Amino acid sequence: MRILIVGGGIASVYTANKIKELRPQSEVVIVSDESYMPYDRIHLCRLVDKSTPLSDITLELNPEVIVELNCKINAIDKESKRVISEHAIFKYDKLIIATGSKPKTLFNIKHLKNVSTFRSADDSYKIADEIKDKNVVIVGVGPIGLELLDTLIGMKEPKSITLISQNDRLYDDYTIDHNIVALMKQAFSEDSRVQILFDDAIIDKEILDNQVLKVITKHSTIEDPFIVFGVGIMPNIDFSKETLETDKGVLVNDFMRSSDPNIYAVGEAAQLISSGFVAGHVKSCINQADVAIATIFEQPTEPFKRDISIDALKVSSFMLNDVSSPFYNPKDKANETILISSEEENRIDQYIINQDRLVRFIGINTNIDLLHLSQMMQKQEVVDPSYFYQNRLVGERGPLVCCCEGSYELDLIDMIKENAVTSFSELKPFTKAGRVCGRCKMMISDLISQTPIDPMEAKRLKEERQKKAKEAEYAKIQARIQKYNTLHPHNEISTGNLESALEIFDKNREFNKWVSMLTADLKLHPDYEPLVKEGVEHLNKVPIIWLELADCSGNSEGFIKNVNPSVEDLILDYISLDYHELLMAASGDNSENALNSVIENDQYILMVEGAIPLGLEGKFLRIGSKGETGVDLLKRVAKGAMAVFAIGSCALDGGVVAAAPNPTGAVGVSEALGRDDIINLPGCPVNPINIVGSLLHFLMFDELPKLDAKNRPEWAYSYRIHDNCERRGHYDMDEFVEEWGDEGAKKGWCLFHMGCKGPYADLNCPLVKFNEGTSWPVQAGHGCIACGEGKIAFDKYANHRRIEEEENES
Amino acid sequence: MNRKKIIIDPITRIEGHLRIEVEVDEDNVVKEAWASGQLFRGIETILKGRDPRDAGLIAQRICGVCTNVHYRASISAVENAYKITPVDNAEIIRNLTTLSLFVQDHVVHYYHLHSLDFVDVTGAIEADISKAVEVAKTFSDSPFKCSASHLKGIQEKLKKFISAGRLGLFANGYWGHEAYKLSPEENLIHMNHYFEALEIQRELSKAIAIFAGKTPHPQNLIVGGVTSVADMLNPDRLNQFMFIMKETRGFIKRAYLPDIHMVTKAYLDDMKQGTGRGLGNFFASGGYQFGKQQMLFESGVIFDHQFNELEPFNLDHITEHVNRSWYEGDEVNPYKSKTEPFYTDLNDDGSLKTEGKYSWVKSPRYKGKAMEVGPLARMMVGYLKDSPIIKPVMQQWMDQYKLELIDFSTTMGRTVTRAIEAEICNEYIFDFISDLIENIKYYNEETWTKYQFEDLPKTSRGSGIYEVPRGVLSHFVDIKEAKIANYQVIAPTTWNASPRDDKQRGPYEESMIGLKLNDPNNPLEVLRVVHSFDPCLACAVHVMDIKGKTIAEYKVNSMCAI
Repeated sequence: MRILIVGGGIASVYTANKIKELRPQSEVVIVSDESYMPYDRIHLCRLVDKSTPLSDITLELNPEVIVELNCKINAIDKESKRVISEHAIFKYDKLIIATGSKPKTLFNIKHLKNVSTFRSADDSYKIADEIKDKNVVIVGVGPIGLELLDTLIGMKEPKSITLISQNDRLYDDYTIDHNIVALMKQAFSEDSRVQILFDDAIIDKEILDNQVLKVITKHSTIEDPFIVFGVGIMPNIDFSKETLETDKGVLVNDFMRSSDPNIYAVGEAAQLISSGFVAGHVKSCINQADVAIATIFEQPTEPFKRDISIDALKVSSFMLNDVSSPFYNPKDKANETILISSEEENRIDQYIINQDRLVRFIGINTNIDLLHLSQMMQKQEVVDPSYFYQNRLVGERGPLVCCCEGSYELDLIDMIKENAVTSFSELKPFTKAGRVCGRCKMMISDLISQTPIDPMEAKRLKEERQKKAKEAEYAKIQARIQKYNTLHPHNEISTGNLESALEIFDKNREFNKWVSMLTADLKLHPDYEPLVKEGVEHLNKVPIIWLELADCSGNSEGFIKNVNPSVEDLILDYISLDYHELLMAASGDNSENALNSVIENDQYILMVEGAIPLGLEGKFLRIGSKGETGVDLLKRVAKGAMAVFAIGSCALDGGVVAAAPNPTGAVGVSEALGRDDIINLPGCPVNPINIVGSLLHFLMFDELPKLDAKNRPEWAYSYRIHDNCERRGHYDMDEFVEEWGDEGAKKGWCLFHMGCKGPYADLNCPLVKFNEGTSWPVQAGHGCIACGEGKIAFDKYANHRRIEEEENES
Repeated sequence: MNRKKIIIDPITRIEGHLRIEVEVDEDNVVKEAWASGQLFRGIETILKGRDPRDAGLIAQRICGVCTNVHYRASISAVENAYKITPVDNAEIIRNLTTLSLFVQDHVVHYYHLHSLDFVDVTGAIEADISKAVEVAKTFSDSPFKCSASHLKGIQEKLKKFISAGRLGLFANGYWGHEAYKLSPEENLIHMNHYFEALEIQRELSKAIAIFAGKTPHPQNLIVGGVTSVADMLNPDRLNQFMFIMKETRGFIKRAYLPDIHMVTKAYLDDMKQGTGRGLGNFFASGGYQFGKQQMLFESGVIFDHQFNELEPFNLDHITEHVNRSWYEGDEVNPYKSKTEPFYTDLNDDGSLKTEGKYSWVKSPRYKGKAMEVGPLARMMVGYLKDSPIIKPVMQQWMDQYKLELIDFSTTMGRTVTRAIEAEICNEYIFDFISDLIENIKYYNEETWTKYQFEDLPKTSRGSGIYEVPRGVLSHFVDIKEAKIANYQVIAPTTWNASPRDDKQRGPYEESMIGLKLNDPNNPLEVLRVVHSFDPCLACAVHVMDIKGKTIAEYKVNSMCAI
C-alpha cells in the first residue's frame, strides 16, 4: 500500500514512522513544502539565538520513508487518487493530510523585509538575521510569543523589545489570573529593554521600499521596528478546500477520515465533525495519528477522544505549567477559581474547578505534582474547593519534566548520575523522556549538561539503589514467612516436626527447575528465585478448598495437567488440597466433615470453579446430604477465606452457563457474593500456569498480584492475544487463511479472516501455550474464541466469522 | 423390617454432582437405592436459536472431562443434518484425538478416581520394600518403575507426608476399612503408579493437544473437517504423537494391566458372586473404522444377560422418560423432546423425594429397557460378535481366571474391561496413524470438505452417535430456518445414572441392590460400585424445550451427570 503524507512536522513524521513500524512493507512518502527535512517546531527559539543547529532539532525518521521537499501541494484529485504540486504529481492509495497550521498576520507581509511570522526555520533565520539594533515588536502573547520574548532577552542584538497584548492578559486570553500575569510581567521587565503594552494594538504603519519604517499603536509609536506576528494560527488546508468538506480544518469523523474514504487528516489540519475540535497539542496529534493508522489498516480501535493536556513554558526567570481537561470551557460561568500563592517562593497555583471537579490548573514556579492533578482530571474525582488548601499535592520528585512519560526532574537527575549519561542520545536506553513529543527535549539536554557525573559514583549509586530495592523486597517476604509460621494449620506443624515436613520437599533438580520456570512466568528477576522457593515451601501450610459449582470440571482437569510444578508435587509437597470433589478420597459425610473442619479451624484459600445458578432460589445445584444450594455453600465457605479465586470463565460471570438465554440465572463468583475483591482467573479452561502463579504470588508477597480493572492478575492478563501471536507477522504482511485447509492454512498464515478473535482477548496463551507448551488454538489452525472474556465469548466470539460480518448480518 | 437410610452426597472422585441414597436392612444389606443428578445447567437451551455451525464450541462445554467427544458428536450431528461427509484425513485426526482421550480417560479414571476404592494409602507405608519388588514381578516381567530404590522413595515420601499430619486429598478417607483387601506391598505398588499415572495422563493430554490445540476444551473442529492441517503435515508432530503413544503403551502394559490383575486376583470372589451386577441390558453402537474396512468396536444389543440373542442396534428404539426426573412431559423421540424442567424440590430434611421426581437426569430407554453402556458393553458385544480385536483379549482373561462372560457384569468386570479397552485403543491407534501417513504420502492433504453455507438446506435434522470412553454418546440437532430449533444429548451417564421408571430401577440403582456394607458410616462398597461405571454427571443432565414458558417456572431440558 502506498501512503502519502502531506506536511513536514511532528504529526507527519510520527505517522510515517508508526506506519513503517506496523507495516514495514507499506510504501510511505512524505511531501513537504519546506526545504528542510522535517523538524521539531517546538524548539524554533533555539534557531533564533543560534544555540542549536537545525540538525539537532531534525526529527528522527525511518530511513525507508521517502521525503519529497519543496513541493507545495495545490490540489487533490480524489477520483484518480493523486495530489498535484506545481512540478509533480503523487499517486496514493491512502492520503493523510498533516499540514498543520499557518500563522495569521494582521496585514500582508509577503514582501516586507522587517516583518515575520514565527512558525518555521526560515522565519527563525529571518528573525535572527534582521533584529540587530532593531526595536523588536512582538504582536501576540501566547506561549510562542512569550518564549520568543525570553529568547530575545537573552540576546544582545535587539535594541528594545515591545510585547503587545490586546487585552490585560499574558499567555492565555481568558483564564489566567492577574496575579500570575503580574508575576510574569515583573520577571520579563527585569530587562530594561522590554516593555509590555496591555490593551493595545497596531493601528497604523509607514512602509517604504518594502520596509516598515514605523508602527503606531493605540498607546505608542515605535520607530525602526522588526515586527513578529504571534497572533494565532489556522489550519493549513487551502489545497483541499475544493475536493473535501472543510470548515476551519479538513472535516473528519471520529476515526480521522475525511469526506473521501481514502483521505485522512490528523493534527492541526483536521477538525472533528462531532465536536469541532482542532488539535493544539502534540499529544492529541499523536493520538489522532494512531486512530487514523488503525482505521486505515482495519485494526480495532477506539474513536479519537480528547485527552488531558499538560503544557510547560520554561523561561529563564520562571516556569509556567498548565494542565487542562478536555471538559474545560473557559466561558462556563460555573467555573470557580482557587488561588494559592507564596510570595516567598514566588509561586502561584491557580486551580479551576467546575461542579466539584478539577478542570484546569495553571501554576507558576509551582511545586505541585502535575501527574497527580492529571489523574484527578482523568478519574473526574469529586473534590471540595477546600481540598486544595488542605492537601498540598507537592511533587516530592521535583517538577514534572516530561509530561508524556511522566518523568520528574529528580528521577531524571538520578538516572543521569547513575548511568553516567553525558548526552541526550546516551539517555535513550534508560527512558523515553524527551522523545515522545519532543517538547522537553531541550530541558532534558540542559539537565544533562548541568548534572556533574562521576563513573565511580555512578556505579556505587546503582548498586546502592538495587540493594535497597532488594532489601525492601526481602523484608517483605521475611515478614510474610514469619506470618505463616505463626499460622496454625490443623496438621499442627510445629518447629519440631516442621523439619520433617519440609524434608519431604524434593530438593532436587526438578524442584529447582520449576522454581526457575515459575519465577520467569511471574515476570520476576532471577534474583527472586530463593524467595519463590521459600514461598513454595510455605504453600504446604495453607489449606486450599476447591469448590466445583455449576461447572464441567474442565478447570480441574486442566489443573491436574500443570507442570512446573506438576500436580503430584503440588498435592504431596506444596499445597494442602483439603477439599476437591474430583480428586479427594472421602465422599459424603466424610468429605463434608473435612470441609467443615478446615472452615472452622484454619486460614484457607478458596478456589471456585463454575457458575452459580441463582434461578429457582439456587436449587438448580445442591450439594451435600442436607441439600445445601450451591450459592449458600459458596457464601458459607467464602466468608472465612483469606482470598477467593474465581477459576475459569464460568466463575467470572457465569461463562457459557450464563450464555443467552441463561436458563438457570447463572452468575459469577463476584456477583453471587456481592464482593469486588475476588481474584478472577478466566479462561475456558484457565491455563493452570495462571492458577499456580497467582496463588504463589499471593502467598509469597502477602498481597494479591497486581490486578487489572476486571480483577485479573496483570502478569497473565495484560497481553492482547493478537499482539503476541506467532502468526502476527502474517497479519502484518496481509497473508490470511481464506478457506479451511487452503495453502495459507498449511503455511500457518493469519486466521483473522476465519474469525479469530485474538484482537479482542487479553490473555497470555501465545506466551505459555497449553499442555506443557504443546500447542494452543491458533497453532492448531482454529483461531482464538476469546474464551477468557466470559459469557460474551459464547454469545459473540465463539464462531468462525469476523465481527463485522456478524454485525452486517444482524 | 427396620430399614436405615444412608445419604451419600457429594459422591466424590467423579465428574459432577451426584447423590446416592440407599436403604439397608439390619444386616447392612442394601435393599433399595436411588441415584440423583443434583445440577442442571441447560446447555441445550442455550444452543437453541444459534447458528448450527457454532454448536460444537458450546456443546463441548457440556463436560470438561469428556470434552472432545461432545465437540465431535455435536459437529458430526450438524454434518449429518447437512449431508456433509468430512474428508478422510479429518476423520482420522478426529479418531486419533478421541482414541487418545479413551486411553487418558481410562488411566485417570482407574488411578485417580477409582483405585482408592481398592487401595489403602496408609497401608502402603507398612510395605516391605524387597517383598514389594518381588510382588510386582509376579504381575509383570518388567514392572513399571518398581525398583527397590524407587519404591523406597515413594514410601518415604508417603511416610513423611502422613507423619506431617496434613493429608490433603487423602484426609478422611476410608483407611483401615475391612473391604480393603490388598497387601501393604500391593498398596505401595498401586500408590506408586497413582503418581506415575499423573505424569502419563499429562503425556496423553499432550498427544491430544498436538492435533487439537489444547485439552480440556480443544479447538480444532469445524463443520466439514479439522483445522490442524499444518500440524498434520508436520512430520515432527506426527512423530511426537507416536512417541507419546509408545510411551503410554509401556505404562499400560507394565503398570495398568498388572495392577488390574492384582485387584482381580484379590476380588475374584466378588466377581464370581456377581457383586455390583446390574440389569443385564447392554448396548454398543460400534465404530472407529481403520485400514481396509476394519472396525475397532462392534455394535449390538443384549437384554437380560441373554448372550445368545444379540440384537442389532437401531436408533429408532430410543425413547426418553421423565416420570421420575425433574421435568414435565411424555415419552418422546429425542428429536422432538418437549420436556420442560419441573423442579419438585427435596424433602425438608434434604433427602430425596423417592416416591416422586428425584433427579435432573432423565431416563432414556431402549425398547423400554434401562440400558448399561460403556467398556463392559463394548467388550461383551465385541466378544459375542467374534471381533478379532476384542475376543482374543477377553478370552485370555476368561481362561486365566476361569470366568464366564456373565462374571464381567460386575463391579470388577467393568474395571477389567475398561483396562482391556485402554490397551486395545493404545495398540490400534498406530493403525490409524498409518492410514494418515499413507494418505499424506500420496499427496492427499485435504482436511476440509468444501460447502457454501448459503446453499445448505435451511431445514434439516441430524444425529452424531459415537462410542466414547463411558459408553454411547448421542447428539441430536433439529434445524429450522438455518438455526438450531431443538438440541438433545443423551450421554453415556444419562443411560447409566438414569432414575427408575414404573418397571425397573436405573443401572446404578440396580447394581447396588444386595450389596453388603461392612460399616454403614463408611459406605466404601457403594462408592466402589458407582465408580466402576465412571460417572460423568455434567454430561448426563440434559434439558428440553422452554416453549415460551418463563425460566421462573424452571422448564429446562438438559443436564449433565458425571
